[in-house]
Amino acid sequence: MASPLISGAPGETHLLLGNEAIVRGAVEAGIQFISCYPGTPSSEVPDTFFRLASEGGYTFEYSVNEKVALEVGGGATLAGALTLVTMKHVGVNVAADPLFTLAYTGTPGGFVLLSADDPGCHSSQNEQDNRIYARIAGLPCLEPATAQEAKDMTKAALGLSRQLGTPVLLRTTTRVNHLRGPVELGVAEKLPAPVGFQKNPSRFVPIPAFARPMHLRLMDILEQARELANTSPLNTISGSGQVGVVASGISRAYLADALLEADLTGTVKVLELGFTHPLPEALLETFMDGLTTLLVLEELEPVMETELRALAQKRGLTLTILGKTPGPMPRFGEFNVEMVAQALRGVLGLPAKAACACAPQALPNRPPNLCAGCPHRATYVAVRKVYGDSAVYSSDIGCYTLGILPPLKAADFLLCMGSSISAGCGAAKAAGQDVVAFIGDSTFFHSGITGLVNAVFNQHNLLVCILDNRTTAMTGHQPNPGVDKTTIGDNPVRVDIERLVAGLGIEHIRKVNPLNQKATLKAIEELKGLTGVRVLIAEEPCPLFARRAYGQKRTQVAYVAADCAQAAQDGSCGDCLNTLACPAFYVDNGKMAIDPILCSGCMLCLQICKNIKARKGDA
Amino acid sequence: MSARLRIFMTGVGGQGTLTATTLLARAALSAGLPVTSGEIHGMAQRGGVVESTLLIGYKSPKIGHGEADILLGFEPLETLRALPYLKPGGLVLSSTENMPPLSVATGKETAPDLESIKAKAAASASRALYLPCRSLGLEAGAVQSGNIALLGALCALGALPFGNDVLAATIRATMKPKVAEVNLRALELGAAYAAHVG
Repeated sequence: MASPLISGAPGETHLLLGNEAIVRGAVEAGIQFISCYPGTPSSEVPDTFFRLASEGGYTFEYSVNEKVALEVGGGATLAGALTLVTMKHVGVNVAADPLFTLAYTGTPGGFVLLSADDPGCHSSQNEQDNRIYARIAGLPCLEPATAQEAKDMTKAALGLSRQLGTPVLLRTTTRVNHLRGPVELGVAEKLPAPVGFQKNPSRFVPIPAFARPMHLRLMDILEQARELANTSPLNTISGSGQVGVVASGISRAYLADALLEADLTGTVKVLELGFTHPLPEALLETFMDGLTTLLVLEELEPVMETELRALAQKRGLTLTILGKTPGPMPRFGEFNVEMVAQALRGVLGLPAKAACACAPQALPNRPPNLCAGCPHRATYVAVRKVYGDSAVYSSDIGCYTLGILPPLKAADFLLCMGSSISAGCGAAKAAGQDVVAFIGDSTFFHSGITGLVNAVFNQHNLLVCILDNRTTAMTGHQPNPGVDKTTIGDNPVRVDIERLVAGLGIEHIRKVNPLNQKATLKAIEELKGLTGVRVLIAEEPCPLFARRAYGQKRTQVAYVAADCAQAAQDGSCGDCLNTLACPAFYVDNGKMAIDPILCSGCMLCLQICKNIKARKGDA
Repeated sequence: MSARLRIFMTGVGGQGTLTATTLLARAALSAGLPVTSGEIHGMAQRGGVVESTLLIGYKSPKIGHGEADILLGFEPLETLRALPYLKPGGLVLSSTENMPPLSVATGKETAPDLESIKAKAAASASRALYLPCRSLGLEAGAVQSGNIALLGALCALGALPFGNDVLAATIRATMKPKVAEVNLRALELGAAYAAHVG
């Protein structure tokens, strides 16, 4: 069945995820080249392109990391292809170096960077505000708030980039990426094939003599972009009065609902900005004229607020500008309708509403956990058996970070993608502690390799456990260079991790299936007794992926054969519960039990306790 | 249709909360309603809490405390956890069958029993309906279809601006025939249950 994202007709309306709407917007713009590194909340954009690649008429790749993705995409736009590169906000840190230069060289084919920011840290290590990248790198920036806008602004951003020959930032936040709403499709443009790279060294090679004029060119382009922002249909004014509100991104949705519920629509003057950088100064001057108070609604940093204060000072305007410095809006986390309504009541001098009395109560938490049958659990159980709390566990980014929770407690510190090996080296050298670094296969390819090369070169001393589950599990089973299967077929070119590690000259390498505890324990004991850089490769597919891509069926399930009383009651045992924390285990009237629906049949528990047995289980 | 509506949904990762949300949103769109839904992906798939929203007549995809007209709980402990989102006098529909979190399954903590969950819900809701979703799903042919039974009950109560026929048509239009068959049965079982006890 053909996807409406590729072949839907203009005028049709479909319910689309924000990220699917971005795909449709790119298709309508005539997208020719997409590269990415997956990361929540951006992942459904590249995954949808990957799934539909055979229908699409574009080139798509999962690159090994964000820097590589941006460079591959940068090359494609230099050769004339209309290009989209996607990543999550922290990925832009990885890709920042080529991004800044690309703004100097320009992008002949057109180039949009999707940065999916995560206010509230739903699935990230920080809540950095990438609108600041638009300022420091010099990128025009568009920020949608609805599914329809996600589609329309992606198309507009690609068009704008092609028109100006400069990279454009499409900045979304988690709520926009993961909302669903009706999207009316538009016309899908068909662009001429890329013209190929046109040699012009003074334009494209930023040696100092050429970089200086490139910087001037960029500043000139940004002024052209500012003119376009001043008259852009993506920036709209509504309502009237002496109190004004400027809002961008998802704050616009909260504002609309807050006005609607308080019956205030039209009673304040509202400027909704979709084209947010460069700041449309002429438009804002007109807007601010006659206002006594201006409330600025933007999640995270007071970016527009600061710029508006500067603009007001420059123009000698005396209106009061409110935002985050000092308040009423917070400089962290997400906004919501009530928070915006409260701020509106404040600026309008309306009485505050009593806070909702519905306080949440203390209940047993339900933190996410490694799935039943997850091979990471098996590796952690074995490492913990050998090292206990005597080693420092340097963790990395992936499902395996969930090993932080007791009883596994296999994550002591974490910096960023790929940091486990390099940061582990430093931690080991500083005070001579034993360090075990855990890194997944995709993260190893992303930026663990460089840390491992450094570890060899600088003669560090640590044990590196590469948790190779044959896919990028956390973000939705995307392929990486080491996999043999993808969700849509075989991977014809596999980079072998063991040979790669051996090629670095590392002497002590063991490869095991972690579900075989005896062999895994033996390998870890051996590696513990050695010094220098040692590598354990724990290879076993993610069971969710194995079912999906390998068609793996469950042939047996575990059950508790003996009448086991659990440790909480008499302290005699409970090893299975207390060492594994498998979600299939539970206590039933004081007795151990295994849920046959949840059990994946990995049989790790049989190796922990003789009272657990296997029996035939269907698929 | 100008009535505005906010529905807050909650369940456990892997239960199909997002599938139910998308189905409901598609049905609302096919009924010509201005719908927005919201969900959070990522860590939550690994057995954590999964919350999602469906709003009609609003622009925001988010629901704050005290704002939901309807709370749909696909797991009773999660129903209780999400009660602060319910508007005073709102409607609660919840599964009665629990999936204990690890700390409860391992005996380290105890979860409130169903009766105390019902009592807490009764204190803020004007109406509450409890269904054995997992059992109804199994009866229909697949555990996961228990969520659809809850949607069937919701429609049967007349709490939505469209009927079960719209949901049924959406199931037929968006699911593979075999899966659709199971879910259509679950929809009917849920509706019948609501008619019986409601």
